[in-house]
Amino acid sequence: MTPQQPPSDSTSRRSFVQLAIGWSVAALAAAASSGAAVRFLVPNVLYEPSLRFKAGKPDDFPDGSVTFLEDERVFIVRQGNTYRCLSAVCTHLGCTVGRSELGFHCPCHGSSFDEQGKVKGGPAPRALEWFMVTLSKDRHLLVDKNERVDAEKYLVL
Amino acid sequence: MKAWKWFEGSRVGRSVFRVGIPRSNLERAQAMVSSFLLHVQPAKVNRRTLRPATTLGLGLISLYLLGILTVTGILLMFYYVPATDRAYDAMKDLQYVVSAGLVIRNMHRWAAHLMVLFVMLHLCRVFYTGAYKRPREFNWLVGIALFLLTLGLSFTGYLLPWDQLAFWAITVGANIAAYAPVVGPELKFLILGGNSVGQEALIRFYTLHVIVLPALMAFMVSVHLWRVRKDGGLARPEEGADRLERIDVEHLPTNKSYGLMELTRSTSLQVGKNPEDEVFSWPHLVFREMLLLLAVIAVVLFLAVFWNAPLEEVANAIHPPNPAKAPWYFLGLQELVSYSAFWGGVVAPAVLVTALVMLPYLDRQAVGAGRWFARERRLANTVFTIFLIIAVVLTVIGSVFRGPNWGWVKPWAQPPAVTEGH
Repeated sequence: MTPQQPPSDSTSRRSFVQLAIGWSVAALAAAASSGAAVRFLVPNVLYEPSLRFKAGKPDDFPDGSVTFLEDERVFIVRQGNTYRCLSAVCTHLGCTVGRSELGFHCPCHGSSFDEQGKVKGGPAPRALEWFMVTLSKDRHLLVDKNERVDAEKYLVL
Repeated sequence: MKAWKWFEGSRVGRSVFRVGIPRSNLERAQAMVSSFLLHVQPAKVNRRTLRPATTLGLGLISLYLLGILTVTGILLMFYYVPATDRAYDAMKDLQYVVSAGLVIRNMHRWAAHLMVLFVMLHLCRVFYTGAYKRPREFNWLVGIALFLLTLGLSFTGYLLPWDQLAFWAITVGANIAAYAPVVGPELKFLILGGNSVGQEALIRFYTLHVIVLPALMAFMVSVHLWRVRKDGGLARPEEGADRLERIDVEHLPTNKSYGLMELTRSTSLQVGKNPEDEVFSWPHLVFREMLLLLAVIAVVLFLAVFWNAPLEEVANAIHPPNPAKAPWYFLGLQELVSYSAFWGGVVAPAVLVTALVMLPYLDRQAVGAGRWFARERRLANTVFTIFLIIAVVLTVIGSVFRGPNWGWVKPWAQPPAVTEGH
């Protein structure tokens, strides 16, 4: 009996191609399935308060007032005939900030902010956000939390 | 006893128990091998394994606590509804309406806290006895996965009562995830199923808590226990002498017919170097294990009967409690986060976990395995102890030295009056 021949080039190439096709198909299937599973977990509809909302009539907010809106977690700031909207969500870890003598204060980790939302102390990495305020057709203040503006931007009525 | 003997000897009894209560050494070995519940363990164990000081039973205690958590958790599921408008009411019902509901919820809470503690202690034991060294590197990794799963189960369970503590701990936790590089904000959105903690987050945490993480946990625990057997039982100082090439056949006892059968390569099958060092698992090991199980149940029940698990007011997105604190085992992390969310909340835990994962592959020195605080391992033990002390100090600071606005308080002084904002 002759000793067995080592596998020739053609068979090893064939088995390489077979392996490559097999593994590619398996990898593709795995990637597609996990991709679909992850995408499945990203909701397309949110049952949350809308990021665009009517805050109320301009005259609901007295001159010089800073009014907290509970559901939307924002402050409406009126000075004279100017209106602005400041986020009440701390930029550190998302707690709700409250009013303090300086401006605003976060109870969770002690960040403090001035009246312009700038960080005055604590671990907060950024200033509180200001949101775009416009006037709706029925003359309500319309806040859009998707649109961030800088502190100098006012709605003037 | 007589009735039991009759049952054991009957056709039915024999079909169930096969061996029955063992009366000879042969039957003692058979009892371990033929029982599904016992066969995970060897028929004979080294005397060293039975000594409490070898492991302090920390891993087994963790396993028992997991068992208590599974049973009480399933019971709680019969009443709990993962909906934002019903979850908190279900907690109140469990406390005041459901028979034994209060004690079962208390047991679940205290066993959960204890399990986190004992898994941590078990990790420290394995480190200080050098038991992660070859061939047990992989089981150390499985152990790290189990530690993270324990924290994950605890954290997901934290949201379910839907009280203030739950709501704000998860808000803070999810925002820490948002600091992760590149995918942070998307990760937070995926965890919460939205922009803030609400119904979607509650059902996600519930699903993770009652099926996803427990299923992973059951699988990983099985692998962990299986590997303990495959790696030759507990780490022993004289382990190297078990190897075939080092056994002097001449000196094996010749009066024992099984002497040669205990000769195997590597440590996988042979239990001890010398058959004289071994005892039968039944009853020596099984008895001690059952005794420990009783003790663990007794302690958890004692805690649950005399101390109630806290339940704060219903979750309120407008008023964070002051201070808002995470669970105790995350308070060291929260203390770090109060200096910097990115360095404390993302970098520090990532570095810590990476270091733990790489440890058995970096520390390849074989000496010192199986002994507490081995002198040869002085450097490793010192480094580990320093990290441990830092973690404990940070946790203690976060737990008792931090008051309203995360300011310093003296725990022995009167608590200051809390002033509300707005």
